[in-house]
Amino acid sequence: MENICAIRNLTKVFFVERTGEYVHALDRIDLDLNRSEFLILLGPSGCGKSTLLFMLSGLDHPTSGEITFTEKSHDNKRLTCTVFQEYALFPWRTVIDNVAFGPEMRRVRKRARYREAERYIELVNLTGFETRFPNELSGGMRQRVALARALANDPEVILFDEPLAALDAQTRRVLQTELVSIWSKTKKTFVYVTHSLEEAVLLGERIVLMSSRPGRVKEIIDIADIPRPRSTTNEREVKVLAMLAEHIAAEVDKSMRREREL
Amino acid sequence: MTTDVSNLGGRQAGGALAVELTGLEGLKLPRKSWFPRSTVIRVLSPLILLVAWELIVRIGKVGEIFLPPPLSVLRVFVRLTADGTLPYAIWMSFLRTGQGFLYGSLLGIIVGLFVGWSQIIEDIVDPLVAAIYPIPKSALFPLFMLWFGLGDPSKVVTILVGVLFLVLINTVTGVKTLNPILIRAARDLGASERQIFLKVVLPGALPNIFTGLRLGAGIALILVFVTELEATNSGLGYLLWESYQLMLVQQMFACIITFGILGILSTWFIQWLEKVLCPWSTTVTRQ
Ligand SMILES: Nc1ncnc2c1ncn2[C@@H]1O[C@H](COP(=O)(O)OP(=O)(O)OP(=O)(O)O)[C@@H](O)[C@H]1O
Ligand SMILES: [Mg+2]
Repeated sequence: MENICAIRNLTKVFFVERTGEYVHALDRIDLDLNRSEFLILLGPSGCGKSTLLFMLSGLDHPTSGEITFTEKSHDNKRLTCTVFQEYALFPWRTVIDNVAFGPEMRRVRKRARYREAERYIELVNLTGFETRFPNELSGGMRQRVALARALANDPEVILFDEPLAALDAQTRRVLQTELVSIWSKTKKTFVYVTHSLEEAVLLGERIVLMSSRPGRVKEIIDIADIPRPRSTTNEREVKVLAMLAEHIAAEVDKSMRREREL
Repeated sequence: MTTDVSNLGGRQAGGALAVELTGLEGLKLPRKSWFPRSTVIRVLSPLILLVAWELIVRIGKVGEIFLPPPLSVLRVFVRLTADGTLPYAIWMSFLRTGQGFLYGSLLGIIVGLFVGWSQIIEDIVDPLVAAIYPIPKSALFPLFMLWFGLGDPSKVVTILVGVLFLVLINTVTGVKTLNPILIRAARDLGASERQIFLKVVLPGALPNIFTGLRLGAGIALILVFVTELEATNSGLGYLLWESYQLMLVQQMFACIITFGILGILSTWFIQWLEKVLCPWSTTVTRQ
């Protein structure tokens, strides 16, 4: 297992200018990312999962501690790319121009970046929709475009922030399956935030359990050995699910009690 | 299997729908009506008004000096067009309006983008805009005549200022209401600040910019009329004013109608431009 990124002693404190308060979002996080793994971040709402992704993306900086990637970025190439729950597609760009956005920013020639984009559009099963605008697509299709856009930028790590949370159950199932297949085809490292225990068990190789605010790594569960395709009704999966549920319930309970005390 | 995307120029009706429709033969599906009812009514409505107008004046209930019958207006309209009076007036007014509109909107877009983008620039510009915006721009015309003389520049500048503020304010709104996650996504994909400005902020603000341009075109026509009342002997506003003073009622009407036509044409032009430049915009698809 090759280490691709090391998070050491990472703490994040937000300062809310409006109220003058401090928010202790993440507390001394230690975590390693392995190359080509499917890592799940799971924890109660507000425990800092999105914040951790934001730090990993390099667009915000930790208050203390550090994040070190083994690869160094060159030619302005990004090491990570994010897929957001809200898709965040550019409404004025067609599907192919959305997917080719990253290469375009690196001034890749039109022909070359379209060829690249086309490859990923095919990978996410959107061939034929290249010239559509995002508002002409369904939610599931939009998220496929967002995924293709992240892949086309060819980062080391793809960060997912609850990418399927806004979709209906049917579409979510389909996309979960496709995600796993794309992950195994592309061999990219996936860091995947979700609220859904089922999703964590269906997709993940390692599940990082986080505690409620301030976010800490409470436990890391390795389930890489559960064979795929997985199902939420198999014995092993059911056991992991029960364990996760117990943990989450305890954390939610803890944070609610604390809120009542405040 | 790869598609040669360089050939995907036009917008395809991406196959899916056509496929779903097979196997529905024999069902009674709604069809496109052959009779364009809405269009017919829209053409008839003003025609009937014109006929009624003609009849009322003919029957003699209203003096021709107040309301000339449409046909006689049409006759004067044709004469003024044929002898070059009207085309010359239109051309002069077009030059003034066009320059004022062009410079005003360019300035408004550029300043607006920066104001929306940078808090410091907003803090500098905002109080100035707040102070000047409420002043009716026609009230600035005498001042501009004092500064820029009696010629065309004072008229152009008045129009420019009127257009500038409307475009500026709408551009700022466009930038401010841009979903911040789009900027974050662009940065996440490796865009530089400059690229974000040109490839995200500018296209993102375009629909609002067009709202500003539409409003600006309206104010430009008002201002060209107002400024041509003074210190000129050319232009549509001048011709209209002169017709009033000489009591040439038909000519007055011809000028008023021309103003109306110019208004419609400018609206169409801006709509067309919006369709070309922001084909994704909901205001475009709704039209
Ligand atoms: N920019 C910010 N300024 C101030 N506080 C912030 C900021 N961003 C996040 N926080 C706070 O940090 C904490 C962690 O937020 P974060 O969005 O990372 O949680 P999360 O685990 O992603 O929650 P959810 O599951 O609901 O998405 C929250 O208490 C949040 O209010
Ligand atoms: Mg979150």
